[in-house]
Amino acid sequence: MNKGIVQYFFASLFFIGLSSNLYGQSCAFSLSGRIMDLHDETPIFGALVSIEGTTFFTQTDASGFYEIRDLCAGTFTLVISHVECNSLEKKINLRGDEIFNFELEHHINELDEIILSDSKLDEISTSVKEARLDKDQIKQNSSQSLAEALSATAGAGVLQTGTSITKPMIHGMYGSRVGIVANGIRLRDQEWGADHAPNIDFNAFESIQVVKGAAGLKYGGDTAGGLIVLSPSKKALKDSLYGSTTLNVETNGRGSSLTTQLTHSYLKGYYWSVHVTGKRFGDFQAPHYNLSNTGLKEGNLALKIGRTKIVKGWELNYTRYENEAGILRAAHIGNIQDLYTALNSEVPLRINPFTYAIQAPKQRGTHQNLQFSFYKTTSSNAKWEWKYSYQVNQRKEFDVRRGSRSELPAIDLKLQSQTVLGSYSWEKGYDWNFEAGINGLLEDNFSNPNTGVKRLIPDYLKYELGTFLVGTYQPSNGFSWDWGVRLDGVFMDAQKYYDQADWQGRGYAQLFPRFEVQKFGTQLLTNPRFRFFNWSAQTGVGVSLGSEVESNFAYILSQRAPNPSELFSDGLHHSIAAIEYGNLSLRSETSHKVLMRVSKNSEVFSWNLEPYISKIFDYIFIAPTGLEQTLRGAFPVWGYRSTNVFLAGVDFNSKITIHKNLNLDLIASYTYAQDQVSQNPLILIPPFNTLQRLKYRPQKGNWYFEVSHQLYVKQNRFPNSDFQFNLIEKGTIVSKTVDISESPEGFQKWDAVFSLELNGSNKIKKQLRFIVQNLTNADYRNYLNRMRFYASEVGRNFQIQFTLNY
Amino acid sequence: MKTLQHTKYALFYLFSFFLLLSCEKETPEIVEEQELITTVELQFQASGEAPQTIRWEANQTNVPTVTLKANTAYEVAIAFLDESDPADVEDITEEVREEADEHQVFFEFSGVTVDFTSGSSDTLDSDGNPVFLHTVWNATSTGTGIIKAYLIHEPTSKTSTTRAGFGGETDVAIEIPFTVVE
Repeated sequence: MNKGIVQYFFASLFFIGLSSNLYGQSCAFSLSGRIMDLHDETPIFGALVSIEGTTFFTQTDASGFYEIRDLCAGTFTLVISHVECNSLEKKINLRGDEIFNFELEHHINELDEIILSDSKLDEISTSVKEARLDKDQIKQNSSQSLAEALSATAGAGVLQTGTSITKPMIHGMYGSRVGIVANGIRLRDQEWGADHAPNIDFNAFESIQVVKGAAGLKYGGDTAGGLIVLSPSKKALKDSLYGSTTLNVETNGRGSSLTTQLTHSYLKGYYWSVHVTGKRFGDFQAPHYNLSNTGLKEGNLALKIGRTKIVKGWELNYTRYENEAGILRAAHIGNIQDLYTALNSEVPLRINPFTYAIQAPKQRGTHQNLQFSFYKTTSSNAKWEWKYSYQVNQRKEFDVRRGSRSELPAIDLKLQSQTVLGSYSWEKGYDWNFEAGINGLLEDNFSNPNTGVKRLIPDYLKYELGTFLVGTYQPSNGFSWDWGVRLDGVFMDAQKYYDQADWQGRGYAQLFPRFEVQKFGTQLLTNPRFRFFNWSAQTGVGVSLGSEVESNFAYILSQRAPNPSELFSDGLHHSIAAIEYGNLSLRSETSHKVLMRVSKNSEVFSWNLEPYISKIFDYIFIAPTGLEQTLRGAFPVWGYRSTNVFLAGVDFNSKITIHKNLNLDLIASYTYAQDQVSQNPLILIPPFNTLQRLKYRPQKGNWYFEVSHQLYVKQNRFPNSDFQFNLIEKGTIVSKTVDISESPEGFQKWDAVFSLELNGSNKIKKQLRFIVQNLTNADYRNYLNRMRFYASEVGRNFQIQFTLNY
Repeated sequence: MKTLQHTKYALFYLFSFFLLLSCEKETPEIVEEQELITTVELQFQASGEAPQTIRWEANQTNVPTVTLKANTAYEVAIAFLDESDPADVEDITEEVREEADEHQVFFEFSGVTVDFTSGSSDTLDSDGNPVFLHTVWNATSTGTGIIKAYLIHEPTSKTSTTRAGFGGETDVAIEIPFTVVE
């Protein structure tokens, strides 16, 4: 439309108004209407409606209605204000009785508070308290992996395969026993492998919660270890464009990482956001040598659009994660004699000069997730929530192979999964909250036959259907009771080739003749089908004892069906020279866990003590079962079995204010785990460890300095998996012991952080951090690193981190 | 009204599970194992004697034995075969010869002292080091013992005199009982 015409139009309106004001005769008009909330259309009570420059004013009633009478015709400026809302001014041309409805918007912080208190309800469980990483902690750890970022949490640990492949551990458990939930949906990424790092970029999230136990029944009842819940930021209901960028430059690995995100939110609740992360590292260095072929490349993208309002909202979100990680070249070995030689060498047997190139052995993972979710709150504060996610995980592992086949993956898996989660939550009175829902999963695994290597994991379809009901009763701030039950059906339908000799040898021909389909030469095609029905339940109470002391007590029952690797694994593991076999006879494992917590919150000294005990029946684990003679020599065979285990432990963390500027954090945890059938300790359980962190922050300064000290004692409780083999030494056969069981010595590690906020303009905040890891360049090996047989941990690292918030 | 809404949502939840239905999976293809070595062949030839060939096969129960004469020069040729498909036997020795820089054959002996050197038709790598595909053996004592034959992939040294010294990954390590007579 022509701009001039519009101006004329308004100008003429103005003159009409003016003239009617000047020559107006009647003063008996009324102005009325309703004032509603912009976002949820609820009436706003007590809003002040006044006419500028006059004494006319009124207030809205409970239904948001207002009326001003005895007005003369004319043009006024109507001012609508409310303590909790942004004021609104509106020019009005009154020529008769008129109705004007307005929508007011609550103050931004007000809305944020509503949304935040909403997120407080997202607390996974009231009786099992979670540990949380906030935005700032996520930034500080932005160049690290999820597991490393969580490792400062009492009770959480890291299972490593070298430097860049890390897996989170909770109370000594990992893999399928620890669930990762992102955007309210479980991550489906071949989590069963000890050397599979979670395929997720935690930089795209604003809060990470660690729940020690299967307390989040909404997300599954099979995670005896616990849950890691990653949540995105809440979008502000205002027109705003904001973002942040963090750049890390590090000396060890001579690498850098960049993560940047931009969000645009609109007044009406719409928003979009883009998040990009890139990482590139070359070989890392141990204190005295280069860790050859440990480089890392990563590129991630997250896109999001949606609308969030108090009553309803939706979101469409796409994430893509791609990672390539080298595996220490010296860890790729041929047989147990090679392993023996490597174990008895002080330094890795292959040390090459630094390079950014990543060669075989290596792994490449790609994870994509397309997700849609919506929610709607009905009148009675009940909420419907529905989420659908389609995830595609591609995993390729490359071995050093003959005849230039190293570029051909030895493992090539494509896992597609679809998840649906529908839930309904409601309140009864002010005390009772309930949530019920259904959760479905379809997983389709395809193992590419073009690898030229026998499939480690077969093709399979897996269906899961679960239903849950959880509730809390909170009559006062001082007491809460929560409970929940969940039932899951798990159906597996696999197609796997067995060597006929193996099928006979393991007794499957007698046990599972119904699985046999067809013989192909020496191979037998089988169709193993399994059904598992799993119960899980949880109940607990939280009590406040006085104003500072709080106590919680919870019991959790969880059941987990064996994962594909436990059932079907079939192949050689190059890094430990072991042949691994799955077991078709496994049943679901059942875990009982009792968690307690006492915490005291005070200005000077806050602490938190969390003891727990757990008993797991039919606990699935892998153990050596014998030797197999192959053309490469004798190999130890490891097979999956089940046993009953007992676990107990305690996590402690505290914060002491030594001086108003000086804080000391103390974190410690211990886990005891015993196989009660064989009377042996469980393998790969974190030893007693502590973390101390001293932080100096001047009250008026814009900087802080932090030194932390980590101590891991030697793990003296480990099962004996050593085995013997024969070696020819100077013309005679000698028997040697391959010592793969003994844990390395304990270690201490010092880190330091100096952080400075730089003065920028009001809108842009800059932060600079200098971080030193392994300050003393300590040379140590870690029991929880599967590469400990071959090389020491990473040495000293200097890191500069620059963050811009805009 | 409210009940209707609830029913509507509940039905929607249930129907959304139909999203998860998938078609039948196809029968997986059999993996054709590559770079598999199923058989190691050792050929012994001394002048004036009938040649002896012993085959060491994966999955075989009886390991063949070999008898040699002391202080006699034996020409020994080693071959690696993939006989997983009897109709299509692959000679892996060719691959080893082509990638001479990345491979090393090595022998160890227990019970009897045997010296071995590179033979006249041996393969040399790009630095002129012998790969030991063809060797000349000479037993200097008598008795019974074990021959251990190795194929090493990507050795860290090409000039060692011990298995550990060569480094690298073991692709083949077989043991053959043998007797050396006068």
